[in-house]
Parts: sequence; structure tokens; C-alpha cells
Amino acid sequence: MSWTTKPSATTKIPTRAEPYCTQAMKDRWTKELLPRYATKQGALLPILHEIQHAYRHIPYQAMVEIASFLSIKPADVMDTVTFYEEFHTEPVGKCVIGICQSIACEVCGHQKLLDHVRNRLGIEPHETTDDGKFTLLALECLGSCDTAPVALFNETLHEKLTIETVDRLIDEASRADGGSGHH
Amino acid sequence: MLARATEAKVAMPVTEPVLTKRIPTAPWGDPKNRRTVGVDDFIATGGYKSLEKALDITPADLVNLVKDANLRGRGGAGFPCGLKWSFLAPPDGGRRYLCINCDEAEPGTFKDRLLCDYDPHLIMEGIAIACWACQLDTAYFFIRGEYHHQAKVVEKAIQEAYAKGIFGKQGLMNGKVKFAVDCYLHRGAGAYICGEETGLLEAVEGRRGWPRLKPPFPAVKGLFGRPTIINNVETLAAVGPIVDKGVAWWKSLGCESSIGGAPSYGPKLMGVSGHVNRPGVFECDLGIPLRKLVEDYCGGMRGGKKFKGAIAGGVSMGILGTDQFDAPMDFDIGRKFDVMGLGTACPTIFDEDTDMVAVARNIARFFKNESCGQCTPCREGAGWIYKIISRIERGDATTKDLDLLLEIAGSMGIIPGTTICGLSDGNNWAIRTIVNKFRGEFEARVKPYSVAVSSVGVSAGVQLSVLR
Repeated sequence: MSWTTKPSATTKIPTRAEPYCTQAMKDRWTKELLPRYATKQGALLPILHEIQHAYRHIPYQAMVEIASFLSIKPADVMDTVTFYEEFHTEPVGKCVIGICQSIACEVCGHQKLLDHVRNRLGIEPHETTDDGKFTLLALECLGSCDTAPVALFNETLHEKLTIETVDRLIDEASRADGGSGHH
Repeated sequence: MLARATEAKVAMPVTEPVLTKRIPTAPWGDPKNRRTVGVDDFIATGGYKSLEKALDITPADLVNLVKDANLRGRGGAGFPCGLKWSFLAPPDGGRRYLCINCDEAEPGTFKDRLLCDYDPHLIMEGIAIACWACQLDTAYFFIRGEYHHQAKVVEKAIQEAYAKGIFGKQGLMNGKVKFAVDCYLHRGAGAYICGEETGLLEAVEGRRGWPRLKPPFPAVKGLFGRPTIINNVETLAAVGPIVDKGVAWWKSLGCESSIGGAPSYGPKLMGVSGHVNRPGVFECDLGIPLRKLVEDYCGGMRGGKKFKGAIAGGVSMGILGTDQFDAPMDFDIGRKFDVMGLGTACPTIFDEDTDMVAVARNIARFFKNESCGQCTPCREGAGWIYKIISRIERGDATTKDLDLLLEIAGSMGIIPGTTICGLSDGNNWAIRTIVNKFRGEFEARVKPYSVAVSSVGVSAGVQLSVLR
């Protein structure tokens, strides 16, 4: 909806002096990723995965840096970033809880889990707690319908979930302070 | 688990496991004993023998072999794999690609995950054979972003295959042929639409996964503008066994079409979920009745409840009604039982307590969330359908909304001809079949449509109808 947005020429993005894409990253991308694809932009998804993993979001400054590394326009990077659900433009919590809400999980009782996590953390799906520890996501099918209901805690899939298991996982994530986030 | 499965004492149509040869699966093995088969174990159990055999056959003959076997794609559409391969133009010296479709995001579907988790080299072998048959030099293994563990297992398998000289610049199988293949893992990032083959190509190219207009078809102009073949994981996994055991053996499995259509040969991975006692992935002959699948393989309905309906094979395919429990699971299912097709052959089973309006709402929300937004009928229609069904679920709708729902659903997709890809056809079929087959349940939730007529204000519409 271009008519509701600010003219991009006057939009300021938050920047920091230290680059998000470090020289070590760029060297590795040049050596390992770029030769895999016929165009430089082919390497964009793996690069975005790495940035998302490292900073728990894709900052606008990083998009500009990636664009210059791949010799494409920052808008092209943003176009891709905003399309995919796993890339976030705002930081997500250290522990991202993605509860599957698709059909097999719904008929096997996902709603109770979702409501429990909502109440316990005091957030709605697609929100992050104020302390930055948890983000709750309601996701579509995670491809594990035989063990429904399931949820992803960061990169680990937990199957046949009960409220007790979810509570234990949240407790563990709360205790694991600091750099445990590996999303 | 195994004991209970054998107690059923009903003849299992597939006499020996083919795709699950190394993956313990009932009735041949206990899923508890599953572990990832590494490259050494794979080779020790006859792995990469099919590739060796395939490299003695000319590429053209290999394509014909797969064509003769009538291997139909296992990703959902059931398109003949050999025919797809034969669409490629002869090599012109430029690059040619294979994309392995492991996006598996269709709700209810989890069969490719089994192969990735436990026998990734079976897929690698299929990739190598396909690359030789079609003379493709680079393979991209596209795996959905949510499959974190599977991505690690597949990446390890790719590295092992390189280490054993399957892939790499020396040529396939340690230079047995002077044809080199590179294979790379490419992770998606959470978009159902990337399972659509041209959406997948866009994702590999680093762009948003918007499906492309066809023609040109990928075999002519695909990834990076070059000839490309896109195959499902299970399809590729089936190629090795076909090369190894031959066309006649493959055709002895599965079934012929009962309505004069294309046959459904071979075994098929079927993932059953929902209200059954033992959900999971099973390997069955195509043509097995759904009831048999549920009763013999899955230990029957959970809690002894009655069967109410089932998603035919991924939500896009639509729903099988209460009286269609005996539907044979083969590629005829679409024409015979008023669903779109077999899809991925992964049914989700519902028992008698299931609220079909809630099921419809869940499916509608899925399509609303996953529409890529490129075509207006899908982007807008999916949202309208979700809103209307939510209204019905809340009890705020009228009978007129049911007709509106069917009208909108029926106008979306490539079959009505209003969209670029088939995502909307899935929405269309899912919603129409569920409303038509469980119409009573929907009607019970809506109020009769009436126009309030008062002495003070009469709407123009009513005046007109009175005048008529």
C-alpha cells in the first residue's frame, strides 16, 4: 500500500558503526556460497538465515550491507526478507515458541496448549515478552502430524505435547539465561 | 507395536518394504528401532548398487525405463516422472538443474520427512540417477525451513556422498562416468508456496516465492533461465528400486485404473494422522482402501469411535465423506470420490465428534495465511472465505452466506482459470467438498436468510422484489 507509507527518500533507518555482516562472514560467503549459484542473489536465502540466526532479526542496516555484498538493490533484499515467515525485521525472543495450528494439531488439541502459553507468558501469538525472552508464534503445519500436537522451541521440534511438557520447556528456557537463544 | 500390527492378521499387500527397506515400519519392524542410516550402512545393505547399474545404461534408455514403469510423481499432482524428464531439450553445453522438492508443508503431510530423517542416501542415490538420466549437472535439495533436524541430516548425507565420490568433479560414482554432479542443500524460510515448483525456483534464486506464469515450463526455462527438473523426494527415492528391480516388478505393485485412466503402480508412503490409534507413515500398495489403511495399519479409530470423514491427502485435495471410507487410495480417487486427487496420500482422519465447520475454518485460515498474494482472486478470496466460515462458526451467518462461500470458492484457481498456480484450487476443493459433503452441519449453524421489513423503512431491494 504505497499510498500509506512514507516516501522512502526521507525514511531513516537505525544504523550502528559496527557492520552486521562481518568480514569473516563475507569471506566465508564468497568462498562457500557464491560459487553454488549462477547469480549472486541465489546466495540470499542462506545469508539471511545466517543473519537471522546471529542477531535474532534482520536489521535494515544488514539488508543494505547484504545488498552491497551481492551487488543488488536493498529493496530486493527487503522484498525477499518480508516475504518469508522465518525472517523478522524486529528482534524475536531468545526462545521462539512456534505452536503448530494446522488441522491434525487442531483436532488433537493444540488450542489448549496455545491458550496455556498465552496466559502463562501474557502475550498473543506473534508477540514477544517485554524481557525479550520469549516470542510466541502460531505456525502452519510443521510436518509432524502423526505426533500432534507439536511445537518448535527454537530449532527443536517437540512432539506429542502436553501442558506439563510445555511448562517444563518454558521453565528450562527461562533458566537458561543469556546466550541460549539459537534461533 | 509390531505385535499388535501382526495380530491384525490381514494380508498386507506390499510383501516387502521398498522405500522403507532400511526404516523399521509396521508390519515389518518397530518404529522404535529407527535410526539414521549412514553411508557405510547404506552401502553395506546394497545401497548405491542401483546407481552403479544405472550408469551402465544410456541416459535416454534410463528416461525410457522410468517412463515404461509409469512412475507417477509422489509430490501431489501425480504427473508421470518419465514424461517430465523427456520434456528436456538435449544438452547444449550450458548448465542444467535438478531441484529436489522437500518443501512438504501441506497440512497432514509428513512422509518425505521420514526418508530425510532415516534413509537420506536413498534420496541421494535417486538424485544421482536422475542427474545422469537427464544430464543435469547441479542439484539443489530444497528443504523447508522448519525442518531443522532434517536439514542437518541431509547436509551430512550430501557431504558423505561427496566423500564417497558419488558427487564431485571426478564424475559420478568415483568417475565411473565422466559426468560430474554437484549437490547443494538450500533451506526455505517458511512459505508453503515454495512447494509450488516455480515458487521453489524463485526461492532458490533468492527472491520471494512467487510462482511463475507457465509456459515456459521449467524443463525449457527454469532455474536461472536454464532447463530444470523438479522432483519430489519420494519420487526420486523410488527411482533407485525401479532401476534395480526392473519395470515388471514395479508394475506388479499397486493397481490398474478401474475407470480407464492412467495406472497407479508401485508402493506409496502414506502418512496417517488424526483420530486413529497409531498414526504414522506406512508403506502400502497404491489402491489400498482407506478403511484398511486405518484398521490394519493404524490400529483402527481412536477410542473405538466412528469414522466421520478424512482429508484425502493434504488439505488441498478436499475431504472424503462418511460414506467414502472404503475409497481405494490410488490416483483414480479424484474422479471417483469427488476430491481433487490423491495428493500426497497422507490422510487426516476425523472421528464422529469432529466439528466439520471448525475443520473448514482451520483449512480456510491455512490458505489465507499461505496465499502468496500475487493473484487477486486467491489473496482476497482466501480472506473472504475465512471470514465467512468464521461467521458461520460463530453462528452469525445466514443461508445466503453458504451460497456466497461456494460461489467464491468455485471461482478461485487455475481450473476456473483465475490464478497463476494451484494454491487456490486447493482452497477451492477443500472448501467446496467439505461444505457439500457435510452440508447439514453447515446449515444447522446458519440462520435463515430474511429481510427485515418494517412499516417505517422498507429497503429498495425488498420493494423491488415485492413489485416483481
